[in-house]
Amino acid sequence: MSRGHDPAVITAVLAAVETTINKGLSLAPVAKRDLGDLAGTVIGIECTSPEVAITAIVEPSGQLRLSHYSERTMDTKVRGSLEDFVGLATAEDPAAALINGGLELVGNTAPLIAVQQIITTMDLDWEAPLVDTLGDVVGHQVAIVLRGLFRWGKASAESFKRQLSEFILEEGRLTPPAAELDDFYEQIEQLGLRVDRLQSRVQKLARRIGEQKP
Amino acid sequence: MSDNQQDAVENPDTTHFGYREVPRADKEKLVRGVFDSVASRYDLMNDLMSAGIHRLWKRFTLELSAVRSGQTVLDIAGGTGDLAAKFSRLVGPKGQVILADINDSMLKVGRDRLMDKGASGNIQTVQCDAQSLPFPDNSIDCITIAFGLRNVTDKDKALRSMERILKPGGRLLVLEFSKPTNALLENAYDLYSFRILPLMGKLVANDEESYRYLAESIRKHPDQETLLEMMEDAGFVSCDYHNMTGGIVAVHKGIKA
Repeated sequence: MSRGHDPAVITAVLAAVETTINKGLSLAPVAKRDLGDLAGTVIGIECTSPEVAITAIVEPSGQLRLSHYSERTMDTKVRGSLEDFVGLATAEDPAAALINGGLELVGNTAPLIAVQQIITTMDLDWEAPLVDTLGDVVGHQVAIVLRGLFRWGKASAESFKRQLSEFILEEGRLTPPAAELDDFYEQIEQLGLRVDRLQSRVQKLARRIGEQKP
Repeated sequence: MSDNQQDAVENPDTTHFGYREVPRADKEKLVRGVFDSVASRYDLMNDLMSAGIHRLWKRFTLELSAVRSGQTVLDIAGGTGDLAAKFSRLVGPKGQVILADINDSMLKVGRDRLMDKGASGNIQTVQCDAQSLPFPDNSIDCITIAFGLRNVTDKDKALRSMERILKPGGRLLVLEFSKPTNALLENAYDLYSFRILPLMGKLVANDEESYRYLAESIRKHPDQETLLEMMEDAGFVSCDYHNMTGGIVAVHKGIKA
């Protein structure tokens, strides 16, 4: 008997995630087209905590298919904890997140970065489904209002993030800026190297003294 | 001991139909009666009975099939064609899907549903008996039988027939109700099967007896390990199974050597 999580539970989660992503893609024709260009790409995702392995396959239709079991040859295989994957999924610079994060990578990273960027930056066109449901006039008006609300929400969130960051770094001095931290780490590294050199010298001197003794 | 061996020891001329002992020759006719009765509302009842979870069980079975473009797939007891429609997409225009069922009413509903879904061109429908499959030896890449094996009179014969027509390396997937792995779940499942399920059958399909048979036939079906042995006895290798939803359902996989 194959052990592990109940496949029905994992399949349910994957089906829900897949439906959400593909619904989003159906509202983002540009992202769907770009994803279609990557058709046949197979990405293996192995989460260590919780322990679960999934495969993401890009379909020629520009949709994603997620499966719990796959025998397809993978272009990229990524291994890490759920926290690492959330970090990658939400990263503005996925390449940096891959290099600096705790993820283990096997294979070609380019398709993974391309898929991540297409999914996270897709620009949803809410107007088409609204017009289909509510009609041309009402649908268009509702879409304008929604677009305005989203734009305001996005701008507000970015502004809040920037101001919070400024307060934490500059006003409150609650945490040092990244440049200061980098400089601090550099100094520690240099200090470590000096200590190593000093230790070597001391050992060398001790050896010489030992040799000079009758 | 396999299901049929057990029957043969008890009485070689009879088999079970739910909890009833019936002449072996009559089982096919009785099962046909059940499915004739439920065919038109089969999908609706499946959704109601399993709260839609049967779609997840089937989805995982599709994943295990690892079917590729250009392959030939046989879906036995394919009923209303939900698996066949998905296989049709996976094998593409160069592949072929054969939807087989012994029951004419189910096959007609399946054919209509497939046409409604726009799945055609690479799908054939065949009315046949799983015990004597009318296909050449070594001709099929993958066989699936979802919630159908328990209704077959001679399961060993059916498994041997499937093994014969599979290509070497081809795989059989048996998706079927099985034995819950947890005693508490088993009690709850019994209550659901024998009290609520027939009532739902009466309310939705106006057919309490057919749904009582479904519950009884599930209990008479071999458990996970017995079915695994039966597949090995039929000649399959690398046999394995995955329990789903606490063992209420299991999908068995076997490869033709």
